[in-house]
Amino acid sequence: MTAAVRAKASRADRLRLVGQPVAVLLLVGGVLLWAATRDLDSIEKVNLAPPKIVRDTWDHLVISVVVTALVVVVAVPLGIAVTRRWARWAAPIVLGVATVGQAAPSVGVLVLFFLWTEWEGLWAAVLPIALYSLLPVLRNTVVGIRGVDPALVEAGRGIGMSAGAVLRRIELPLAVPLILAGLRTSLVLAVGTATLAAFVNGGGLGLLIDTGYKLNRSTVLITGAVLAVGLALLVDWLGALAERSLGPKGLR
Amino acid sequence: MSLWEFIAQRWDRLLPEAALHASAVIQCTAIAAVAGVALGVAVYRSPTGSALATALTSAILTVPSFALLGLLIPVLGLGVPPTVVALVLYALLPIVRNTIVGLAGVDPAITDAARGIGMNRLRVLTRVELRLAWPAILAGIRVSTQLLMGIAAIAAYAKGPGLGTEIFSGLARAGSANATNQALAGTIGIVVLALVVDGLYVLVARLTVSRGIRD
Repeated sequence: MTAAVRAKASRADRLRLVGQPVAVLLLVGGVLLWAATRDLDSIEKVNLAPPKIVRDTWDHLVISVVVTALVVVVAVPLGIAVTRRWARWAAPIVLGVATVGQAAPSVGVLVLFFLWTEWEGLWAAVLPIALYSLLPVLRNTVVGIRGVDPALVEAGRGIGMSAGAVLRRIELPLAVPLILAGLRTSLVLAVGTATLAAFVNGGGLGLLIDTGYKLNRSTVLITGAVLAVGLALLVDWLGALAERSLGPKGLR
Repeated sequence: MSLWEFIAQRWDRLLPEAALHASAVIQCTAIAAVAGVALGVAVYRSPTGSALATALTSAILTVPSFALLGLLIPVLGLGVPPTVVALVLYALLPIVRNTIVGLAGVDPAITDAARGIGMNRLRVLTRVELRLAWPAILAGIRVSTQLLMGIAAIAAYAKGPGLGTEIFSGLARAGSANATNQALAGTIGIVVLALVVDGLYVLVARLTVSRGIRD
């Protein structure tokens, strides 16, 4: 990337860092105010009652957070493993599966998992979504560690570091920016796909959208959709903040 | 009934759905490519414009597709209109970003040379800059297509065309015979379509990238 291109990208990032929370506040505040000041019939009142909205939002967040935790716990170690010498042969297979997996539609993965296991609720949503949003972190972990200059690894070995120490103190810190970028992508995917959790009785803001659509109540549908948009933008913004603050200092 | 028997039996319905799926994705990618490249060309010389266009299109990509469809249903109704709008919006970011990056990456010495031999601004853009940026733009279009394959499946919720119909009707008929086969046929169909179309892009790249910069 040339300097000009990088400057443009970082400018766009800064713009979003400021603009996104403002947009979230306006969107969420606006829609809640709009819904609250409308004449609601009994169905709308039940679905838009504050405790119900809070619970759906909470369910949505829980799904997203559990998915992210699972993704970190599974994808990063797996990504590290396939870059080790003893498992290097598995890297193309893992990346190939990941690429093909990414071509699968999220809704298909979710529905199939539900039909196969006949589970419902939180885990019926979390496991397929985690499986689906694993791929960006996995790929970025592998690419990040592979991208570390071999000379640095050699230097580490040369000053007497063990393979584990090289991994912990050289390879991983240098790969962290890419891993974090993958994690942010995963997180946004998870929040987005969590809107589909309502199809498998997993709750979340998709429930408001689905209810509003099926019962023909636009107010409920729009409130659910706007809240989901707000939540996604908010989570992405937090991801951007994390990306800025968690990367190793020397690389910033 | 096994999956293969199911597919063989419903072939006359699955095939048109696959064709509709592919055609919706490809047409929406084409619209987004024209709009995205135009947007990229319009803003790439201004740092603020580029930043705004990138920030805005990447914020759109953050929006959950199911939520966007939900927002479009009250405005546009069901079927093709909300599907097309949603698909085009999601396809924009990779194309706009890659257009801006590709155009910004053109060596200024080359555009200077083009100006020097008497090309006007438009000719420099169409004969030199866009051709050099084309591999990057095409890569963006390819990413968009892959993205749309999955989002088009969700659009079946708003009665959009394509293989997502099979997934949703499998879900609606959960527990009954062939529900799983139906969802499986829809999902696998989309994966196959995505891989085939992705392969076609290699061919498109061979045919459209200028010979001098082919690798």
